[in-house]
Amino acid sequence: MTNIKPNSSSHKSDPNRRQVLAGSAAVAAIGAFGLPVGAQTTAAPAASGAFASLGVPHIRRDGAEKARGGAKFAAEYSYPGMVYGALVYSTIARGTITSLETAEAEAAPGVVLVMTHENAPRLERPEPFYSSPTGMAGSSTPVMQDAEVLWNGQPVAVVLASTQEEADHAATLINVAYEEAEAVTSFDVAAESAQTSFYAGRDLLIEEGDAETALADAEVSIDLSFNTPAHNHNQIEPHAVTVLWQDGILRMHDCSQGVDLSAITIAKVFGISPAEVHLSAEYVGGGFGGKTVWQYHILAAAASQLADRPVRMSLTREGVFRICGARAPTRQRVALGSDREGRLTSLIHTGTTMKIENNSMTEPFFEQSEHMYRADNMHLEIRAGTMDMLANTFMRAPGAATGTFTLEVALDELAERLAIDPIELRVRNEPEVNPTTGRAHSQRALVDAYREGARRFGWIPRSGQRQGYREGEWQVGTGMAAAYYPYKRFPGGAARITLNGEGGALIETAAADMGMGTTTATAAVASERLGIPYDAIEVRHGDNTLPGALIAAASQQTAAIGASLTAAHEVLLAELASLVPATSPLHGLPAAELGTAEGALYSLADPQQQIPLVDLVALSESGTVSAEAQGGPISEWTQDWSMHSTGAVFTEVRVNSVTGEIRVPRITAIYDCGKILNSKLAESQFRGGIIMALGMTLMEGASFDERNGRVMNPSFGSYYMPTHLDVPHIDVGWTDIPDPQAPTGARGIGEIGMSGPAAAIANAIYDATGKRARDLPIRLDALM
Amino acid sequence: MRVTFLLNGEWVTANGPPTTTLLDWLRERASLTGTKEGCNEGDCGACSVMVSDHDGARALNACILFLPQLMNKAVRTIEGINGPDGAFHPVQQAMVAQHGSQCGFCTPGFVVTMAVAHLNGRTDHEDQLAGNLCRCTGYAPILRAAQEAEAAAVPTWMQTDSAALDAEGAGASAGDMPQHSLPASGLTPSIASTQPNDQTGPEGPSPDASEEVDPGLPGCADELAHWYADHPDGTLIAGATDVGLWVTKDFRNLHPIAFLHQCHDLQQIEVTDSDIHIGAGVTLTDLGAFIANHHPAFAELIRRYGSVQVRNAATIGGNIAGGSPIGDSMPALIALGAHVHLRHRDARRILLLEDLYLDYRKQDRAPGEFVEAVSIPRQPDHLKTYKLSKRFDQDISAVCGAFNITTKDKTVQTARIAFGGMAGIPKRATHVEAALIGQPWTAETAMALAPIFAQDFTPLSDMRASASYRLRTAQNMLLRAVLEDHGTQTSVLEVNP
Repeated sequence: MTNIKPNSSSHKSDPNRRQVLAGSAAVAAIGAFGLPVGAQTTAAPAASGAFASLGVPHIRRDGAEKARGGAKFAAEYSYPGMVYGALVYSTIARGTITSLETAEAEAAPGVVLVMTHENAPRLERPEPFYSSPTGMAGSSTPVMQDAEVLWNGQPVAVVLASTQEEADHAATLINVAYEEAEAVTSFDVAAESAQTSFYAGRDLLIEEGDAETALADAEVSIDLSFNTPAHNHNQIEPHAVTVLWQDGILRMHDCSQGVDLSAITIAKVFGISPAEVHLSAEYVGGGFGGKTVWQYHILAAAASQLADRPVRMSLTREGVFRICGARAPTRQRVALGSDREGRLTSLIHTGTTMKIENNSMTEPFFEQSEHMYRADNMHLEIRAGTMDMLANTFMRAPGAATGTFTLEVALDELAERLAIDPIELRVRNEPEVNPTTGRAHSQRALVDAYREGARRFGWIPRSGQRQGYREGEWQVGTGMAAAYYPYKRFPGGAARITLNGEGGALIETAAADMGMGTTTATAAVASERLGIPYDAIEVRHGDNTLPGALIAAASQQTAAIGASLTAAHEVLLAELASLVPATSPLHGLPAAELGTAEGALYSLADPQQQIPLVDLVALSESGTVSAEAQGGPISEWTQDWSMHSTGAVFTEVRVNSVTGEIRVPRITAIYDCGKILNSKLAESQFRGGIIMALGMTLMEGASFDERNGRVMNPSFGSYYMPTHLDVPHIDVGWTDIPDPQAPTGARGIGEIGMSGPAAAIANAIYDATGKRARDLPIRLDALM
Repeated sequence: MRVTFLLNGEWVTANGPPTTTLLDWLRERASLTGTKEGCNEGDCGACSVMVSDHDGARALNACILFLPQLMNKAVRTIEGINGPDGAFHPVQQAMVAQHGSQCGFCTPGFVVTMAVAHLNGRTDHEDQLAGNLCRCTGYAPILRAAQEAEAAAVPTWMQTDSAALDAEGAGASAGDMPQHSLPASGLTPSIASTQPNDQTGPEGPSPDASEEVDPGLPGCADELAHWYADHPDGTLIAGATDVGLWVTKDFRNLHPIAFLHQCHDLQQIEVTDSDIHIGAGVTLTDLGAFIANHHPAFAELIRRYGSVQVRNAATIGGNIAGGSPIGDSMPALIALGAHVHLRHRDARRILLLEDLYLDYRKQDRAPGEFVEAVSIPRQPDHLKTYKLSKRFDQDISAVCGAFNITTKDKTVQTARIAFGGMAGIPKRATHVEAALIGQPWTAETAMALAPIFAQDFTPLSDMRASASYRLRTAQNMLLRAVLEDHGTQTSVLEVNP
């Protein structure tokens, strides 16, 4: 073995890291910016031959099962005696149930149970996000425990019947009478009492210097207002759960983004131990932040308990809109002041959003404004009002999705006022260190992304003059914007590595795969770290009995898994060291002086000294060698470094002068997200985010009836998402520079595609038409 | 009622209430869960299945497809797109290779739609797949997969359905399907076990099944005429793209009902010296293919009507009789001077189509009277249509305009202009037409006549567009029609030039 690739449990001796730390020449080599990256090419592999895994575009592991129609989703498990659930939703926004007539429903064919607050088991309130380290619920609103109605659409009765049709039918026979109370269903009314809010353990208020005075004194300034509506995730799989109480265990087949946290949250509601909940979600039909714990889980489990029957609760599409929350509406102000050279002297990003009394989720739309640009004075503040509505929650790129829209449109307007090219304005305000924390960037190549994007898109620099032109009825323009999403890694990650006697390994981690390719990426990371061929690695995920409490959220799961594998690998090395026979030169070496590569344990000091892993495994009593550990401390982003992903998005837009129709024929996006682990998975993640952002820009919005608090378009026939012919040619690329502080060099890619396109499109519309669009979605009639 | 059809190559008999959807039956009775429910209203395509008869194979949404509509037809679900020995269809291989599947929930529907397009040799993938929504991939890997599979041969198992249908003899009515054609051996255990007495659910007799009255199943227009006259409060179901939602969304109890798909005489298009006579049961797909040779602008409008799956089911008669103010067929038909042929038992009436619509959802049509056909006078083609909607496909028009203007010596001779989305009914712009006749066909005329639109229309503001926008774009469409005649062609499909 002459080609042995040094690999060990230590971060610093990781080959990728070494190259990065070696200096800028190596960085440039890995970044390979001259190469066409993205759709047509693969990223440069980090290793070669059979052992190459990271950066290799492996075919996704679940692709065949999904293409075959064999992937089993939450609503596709059956148990003997299983009954089907249907929900009755309140029709008022706030008040009290005065009567519930259920007799007719109870007598209807096939009905097994009608559950209301009058007979539901007594349950604890669910723990919402941020109320505890394990809170996974959308809100702490009691689940069918009393007569109080807190939103229009709240479940007020559950019907269980032998078939879905019978349950649906019986649900229509239930009559509910209410005494309505005064409800706050108007944004304006709620905004009057909005308070400076908080998010993820901190106040949403940052003040540096005197931004208002600086704005007033600025040589050039703009002061703009924006509106964005509520959005819905609209995963193609409607939420569903199949529930069974069996042998003291609450068994749930769910579509959760975080199986452990879901199980713990549900266990607490029922006052049982988390070990008494077995929750799995092998396949999740899209998540985007919405596949967490909502009332339907709890109602299904409670009704199942009451009826002593297995229950399937499969929400209708309308049901998803009624009881599973999504992105809250916002009203934002962005004001920028600068000197004549475009150096920002004042950055104000403030505004109001809505939440409910019983949750702690304030849409954090100023986050990118903290980290993207240096400014002498800043005022960032988000106020939240409370409305009587369904709990809002996380949706792809919380905060940044709408926050980059407003900030990046404002920069475009400032650039025009200054007669400076929009890219140049951004480059002039590129911060050398984090503008609010003062920490050093772990890795940041946004300026390179601007340059590369401009080159590939064919950006025409401009200085205050629109470059748009006319082509028949079409007004054609171009625009650009920056993209942003923070790196995160949540605590709770863990993994177990088990080596078998055939030279393969099993990786077990309670991670979720809702389509991102978690198992595929995990196998690649494990292959790289263990030195075991990719195809010899099996990955189990999506079950709370597996190690760890991971959540596929905030683009952090891959980092969490990577850190867990690193830690488990260290434990594994110790296990292997203990098996080394006394005759071996490796005998007595501590784990820290050992590594694994190419199917062998070897000495870091003398790589020629090695023992095949299968030989060591054969020496173990059980015939396998197993190691489990939690990921290390998360201080890399919470304390030590400024870790943020960025990108540059360019669009061409055509606006029809006869009808106002908007078409987006092409988008170029270059991302700086650290290392790309699998170019095929990554391309789709970016592209999927871009298309969702295109939808947000041009068509998406949950229409909220302020008279009665009801969502008016709870269907795919009235809440539009892009279809094929709305989708432009998209050229996606990435810098592919490993982040030396991230466990696998990757910073996460799931959300960032969602930030940037909205502003780039709006800026291109301005370039085409001279009209500024500051409200989303940009309606057909906005430009006429 | 019992419905016999070919399912993934095997004859099966399904029993259940006539408004049981194929999707529910597949997932709950046949344990074939590869077909997914995403919206239950025909908007997402996750439930797409292939349905074949002697006219060929097409993709349909199983969520709004009632069992009786399948009589004597062949259905292939995702499980039947897989080869009998577990082999992959070329589109499945390509979907895996191209990463066309992410979360995987929409994937079976995409695979089925792609397999049908592949069987039919279609390569206009963006149109063929417009009825399938994906929220993960951004579509590009799926389109790449469709392209990659183009050249591959159609697998043998995809070509057996028509032979199997032939073997049973064309035209056998549903109830007559011989029982010996049910090879229990070929059925999955779960299907086989539900065969003998399928109107019982897991828990006992289904209420609707025990009380149900068999639906009307007229075999021709004459039988339909008598059934409807006898059941004037009944519901007629042709493609079920609209009525399907009354069941799946509104849980309405539709009795009595009649299924029209066996009225083959309503599914004909006849061309005479004077007219193009289109039976009410002609699907939008068939109408679009036919009318392209006569009025290509109408065909282009139909291209944007719903999606492939919807057009494969929806009928022109259903669109006309539905009478929605934003139905897309009517402006084109009215502009072409079409007549609607109404029938009540043996009495027939012929009206100009615009005269059918009296007020919002109110028609000059008596109880028991139905739309038998629509006829378009033969004429040189001058039709122009403009559909204005947010999304290119699967969207309801904010404004849909149709212009049929003839000129002589650059002067307007005749003008028929009709709009959807501008009033409570599909409506002609009679004042604009009158003002236009005799005027030079120029941009100046179009601009000068703009104020007259307000005499014809007082549109509403709604979630799609404001009233003033509607009026303005209607005016602009007239200008666009002029410019088009003067050589400035515009495609609104500029997203992929």
